[in-house]
Amino acid sequence: GLDRQVRLDADTEAQKLLVTWEDGRASTFDVEILRTELMEIVFNETVVATEDQSTGKHQWNWTSPVPLECTSLSVKVRSRDGQDVSEWSSQQILPGLDLPDNTDSQMYPEGKTVPVGSNMTFCCIVKEGQQFGSLLYKDTLVKETMLSRRTYATTMTNQGPSNPSGTNVVCSDEKKMIITGAVVFVGYPPMPSDLVCETHDLISVDCQWSKGRETYLFGMARQTYYTLNGRNCSKARDSNMRCGLEQWDGNWTLVARNLLGEFRLTDAAELGHRVRPVAPVNLTTPEVYSWNASVGWLWKYNGYERLSLICQVQRTSHSNSSTQTYTGYGLNTVVLKDLQPDEKYNVKVRCGSQKNFWKWGEWSLPLSFQTKMDRPVAPDIWLWMDSDNLGRVLWKVSTTSGYEVTLWSPEENSQQTLTLPQSMYSLPINVTDRWSKVTVTARNPAGVSLPANVVIPRHLPGKNGGKGSGFPLSWVAHANASCGYVVDWYNTSCTHDCNVEWTRVCVSINAFFSFAGNFFAGVRYTFSLYACSSESTVLLERWHGYMQELVPSRTVPRLSPNQEGSDVQLTWDQIPLEHQRGFILGYTVYLTNASHLTLLANITDPQLTNHTVKNLVLGSYKFTVKAYNAAGEDGGATVSISLDPYTYWLIMEILVALGTMTCLLIIITIACYRKRKWVKKAFYPDIPEPKLPGEWGITQGTLDVKPSPHSMVHIVEDSVWDSSKEALVTVPEEDEEGTGDEEADTDEPASLRYYNQVVEEGSSSRGRPHASDSSASSTGSMDSGHTDVTYTGIQTSPDASQCAGGGGYRPQMQSASCPEDPQTGPEEHLQPPVGSFGGYQPQCSWKQDSPEADGGGLDQACLGSPTSVTSSQFLLPYDTSEEGKEHQSSASTWFHNLLTGKP
Amino acid sequence: MSGHVKNMCPQLPISQAARTLLSLLLVAAIDSVSAGVVCRKQPCGSSLQISLKLTKLIHKESADLLKTYKVSQGDMSELFCQMSINNVPDPNISGLDPSERMLSIYSHCKAFLPHLKRVTEQQTDLQPPSSSLLSKLSTAQNRTNGLANQINCIYQTLFPNLPIPPEPVDGPTSVPPSQNVFQQKVYGCVVLKRFKEFLSRVTRELRTLKSQVCTRRTTFADTNALS
Repeated sequence: GLDRQVRLDADTEAQKLLVTWEDGRASTFDVEILRTELMEIVFNETVVATEDQSTGKHQWNWTSPVPLECTSLSVKVRSRDGQDVSEWSSQQILPGLDLPDNTDSQMYPEGKTVPVGSNMTFCCIVKEGQQFGSLLYKDTLVKETMLSRRTYATTMTNQGPSNPSGTNVVCSDEKKMIITGAVVFVGYPPMPSDLVCETHDLISVDCQWSKGRETYLFGMARQTYYTLNGRNCSKARDSNMRCGLEQWDGNWTLVARNLLGEFRLTDAAELGHRVRPVAPVNLTTPEVYSWNASVGWLWKYNGYERLSLICQVQRTSHSNSSTQTYTGYGLNTVVLKDLQPDEKYNVKVRCGSQKNFWKWGEWSLPLSFQTKMDRPVAPDIWLWMDSDNLGRVLWKVSTTSGYEVTLWSPEENSQQTLTLPQSMYSLPINVTDRWSKVTVTARNPAGVSLPANVVIPRHLPGKNGGKGSGFPLSWVAHANASCGYVVDWYNTSCTHDCNVEWTRVCVSINAFFSFAGNFFAGVRYTFSLYACSSESTVLLERWHGYMQELVPSRTVPRLSPNQEGSDVQLTWDQIPLEHQRGFILGYTVYLTNASHLTLLANITDPQLTNHTVKNLVLGSYKFTVKAYNAAGEDGGATVSISLDPYTYWLIMEILVALGTMTCLLIIITIACYRKRKWVKKAFYPDIPEPKLPGEWGITQGTLDVKPSPHSMVHIVEDSVWDSSKEALVTVPEEDEEGTGDEEADTDEPASLRYYNQVVEEGSSSRGRPHASDSSASSTGSMDSGHTDVTYTGIQTSPDASQCAGGGGYRPQMQSASCPEDPQTGPEEHLQPPVGSFGGYQPQCSWKQDSPEADGGGLDQACLGSPTSVTSSQFLLPYDTSEEGKEHQSSASTWFHNLLTGKP
Repeated sequence: MSGHVKNMCPQLPISQAARTLLSLLLVAAIDSVSAGVVCRKQPCGSSLQISLKLTKLIHKESADLLKTYKVSQGDMSELFCQMSINNVPDPNISGLDPSERMLSIYSHCKAFLPHLKRVTEQQTDLQPPSSSLLSKLSTAQNRTNGLANQINCIYQTLFPNLPIPPEPVDGPTSVPPSQNVFQQKVYGCVVLKRFKEFLSRVTRELRTLKSQVCTRRTTFADTNALS
């Protein structure tokens, strides 16, 4: 039997239990491990445990599938020798963390890192007194096993990789509330690949590798760490998997390590085989010409001077891109050839080691430059014939500033030069003109291009008439016609799917050839003669012909007359080719009277399709136009016209003139309306409010009124003068009171209104319409003395009271308060109506034309300054301090005179 | 005269405050209460408005931060975010009068900072370096620090005679000692949730304070000006 106690040592992290006991002799033992609380056997096997000679003890390691913290374990050991067994040792208990004194809820294992696919048992110890509910792995409910009163466990098999923050395992109570949880990190050991070391500066090493499979492990403890030849690669992170060493070692070992394992990669090479130059820097263009340029750059490292380099220069222009290769020791300048003048280029450079080429270096930053301008190349030109004798000289557009086209006539030794802009790319040519050659040159600021020539063809299609059943053709022998001639023909008016026929003619028969075919009368045929040679066939000549000409089958289309005064111009179109049935020789124009035709003109130019009949008298006319060919005239197209008398034109002209005038007036009216403010300001400005000078103060007088800065005129309707009433009536100025919150005016005295009821004696104008504004009163009150004037806040003064003479308000009295020269502006001074008090003359101060008057004096002189209702005159003086007074005054006078009918 | 009183509102307290602020700064320099905080003189209403805007911004960001946090923690994060944890600052703002409540906001801001820092550290070890959660956490820390400084300035301006106590008034909440990964996840969630709640309350509180304190100061200025 075991004479000593069993000792237990737990490594909870590794879930390992070390059992130690003393028994000198035996080497085979029975070990029984059971969960203390529920007495469930976890392990019961015979193990071999040899004695440690130094200590004389037996040791045995057991790895528990369940974390050791989950519940208490009891271990007992007995020695075995075959079938003989000793007594069990006394039970040794490894206490779990579910003992009653440890009341908190817990979960194990926590924060472990395990490889993908591993199996793992988690246990949840519920809080003392709490009810277990369920276990969840990720978001899946898993089946649990009860290990003790408070401990429940579950085993997860073949775990998949976890999130960066780990896989959550939680334990909840019966109310689905989380009690506790744990996190497990499931990932892979590192597995990098493709370690490649190279040098850029010919001294140090730069190694790169690819990360390989994702480890799914993050964080300081779990991430992968790399070492290169034993040195830490702290910068190797994320996608930037590279590490450098100061010196070239020749052999490199990369070790990648994380919690789950490590991986080794090796690489070996000679320095000369692994040179990858850096990108060239500071690209410049020392010399730039029209067709070539040199490009230079700098190298970051001096060692490149002795290095044989191969460099690629990629140049890109707007049209294309190409790459050239250059070589040389320490190459740092190249010449780019075959460039285009005045073209923008982008170049970039990369290099590699020429000897033992390894890899291209990085591209340099691009450099832009523009080649110089050169004189343009000769334009590419062609002469295109769009009819028998009309053509266009065409040329291909290039970047130039213009073209010069010269037409030559060597026979006459003359030339004509035209200068055309850049946008032009063709010139019409009539081959019947004398010019035989066209030269086109392009021009730009750098110069003029070489000339490009084209010869204007001379062989115009000839005419040919058929004889018998065929056409006789003759031509001059051509030197290159080694294999004879080919003549083809077709119906000229055919436009689609035409039948072309041809025949080959022997070399010997070259002077005259008549050949028969299926030709019809009145149909135009085109014959082409080609010289046949071993190289190509060349068009020599072309003819048009009719087997037999017939009278045109239709009349001229679109015949129309047009009256031009006493002349009539007739215009028409050419007869379509298929209806001509012969070569049109010209046209005849007839005047038709009943059935009688009078020949007016015979036009012999078939291209001319108009005719003017001159000096006709008024009346109706009928004209007939006939086209004719060798066979005769067609039936004739007839058109009639009635010449209109000219009087209509006269009326028309008058109407047009009137219309123009009306439009002009409307435009002026609209302009005046739109600028009415300006018009009003210029011709009829607002009456300025009278201003009171500072000297006006409260003075002695019977009227207890305070001066107000405002002097307003209120025209009150329907008020008849009652002599029994006081002349002045004060009313509170209700309307003038602002309802705002400004209280600045509260210290001002209340203003009063004065109703001056001026009545023209003897006039009974009650109910008469009442002018409501000053301008209206000015224009419409020549005889009106009935409208009342209300003075608002008229200043009192001793003079005023004297003027009034105690009877009422009579500012128009000529008194000391009105010391104005009565001759001032006598013309404007209208006679006031004769009132009870001698008339109201507030215009006593009217001095619009007085240049001496100054504003202060005026204001002082004029009391109240209202507008007289019986006068069309302005009662208020202009502020003489204002600029442009004179202009305003004269303008307003003019306008006023206009209104009042004065000269 | 009465028309000028409006203008005197910001001027008078500030000239008064400037003097007291000088003496306060002296004290502050000695006991380093507000070391490194430079306050600009601003009218009461406008500085509170700025703080209010900042608070609203942080509150909005904190909601987003919490959402990002939960997504980054793996499955069932919604469930374990409901777990309770001690030693995380309480989001409630305490105090009876405006000065106390303002001080409470300030000290709460300061109290949340070490917790946010701890969460950032913990998550740095649990997230890939490119994770947006880390940048958001860092932003939240910076903004909260800024808010605390602003509140400090407003407090000094409005209550020049009341010193800022060196320790948070609501009692310190030390960051927890070592935690296992699961505890870290729960802790971070609780911190961010409370932080969000706190900011929501600060928004309300600043709105109230703005109407209370600034109006009160104006009235105070009025009586001063009239006397």
